[in-house]
Amino acid sequence: MRRYETLFIVTPDSSEEDLKAVAEKIQGVVTGMNGKLVNYKEQGKKKLAYNVKKQNKGYYVLMDYLGLADLVAELERNMRLDERILKYITLKLADTVDPEDFEVQEPEPSEDTESVAEVEPEVDETVETQESEEER
Amino acid sequence: MRRRRRAFPRRKVCRFCADSSLAIDYKDPKMLKYFVTERGKIIPRRISGNCARHQRRITTAIKKARHIALMPYTTIQPH
Ligand SMILES: [Zn+2]
Repeated sequence: MRRYETLFIVTPDSSEEDLKAVAEKIQGVVTGMNGKLVNYKEQGKKKLAYNVKKQNKGYYVLMDYLGLADLVAELERNMRLDERILKYITLKLADTVDPEDFEVQEPEPSEDTESVAEVEPEVDETVETQESEEER
Repeated sequence: MRRRRRAFPRRKVCRFCADSSLAIDYKDPKMLKYFVTERGKIIPRRISGNCARHQRRITTAIKKARHIALMPYTTIQPH
């Protein structure tokens, strides 16, 4: 499976219930297309950098999930047709992941889009010591 | 006669190469804001001092941030 994230904006006049309805629908698309939801995070209402569909604010939601390309197509089709959703963007985070490695809905600190392996830098004593020479 | 060259100090090395803990994320407009002008235009790398690879990542991130309305395309004429 592939790992994706979709960040989308829900119309600012949404009630708590509307947000819940959007969440259920969107998450339903993921599971309905044999995807696996990793995390669904409502980030709250934010001011938009420019007006979108005549709105200057919106609720941002970040969803992290696993699935195949057809899931993304279906998800975006749903978002395009849903008037409550102002805009969306989808990124592929990883090409091949094992779904077993992910716990459903367990919020994790999200990793960098381009997963750079964190390697402890080795201390190389031989580099750049000119300055410390003077200290005696 | 010396002219003051830039407000943005020229760096010897790209800050992202120098510090691998600095992440480039389109969802972080506060950080990306540092790489655009007041009008929202992307600062060229000869001024920002980024290497080609990281400038490309910054540019890509800014474009994504613009798309999802986290950053403006321009502050002159907002659409
Ligand atoms: Zn660099």
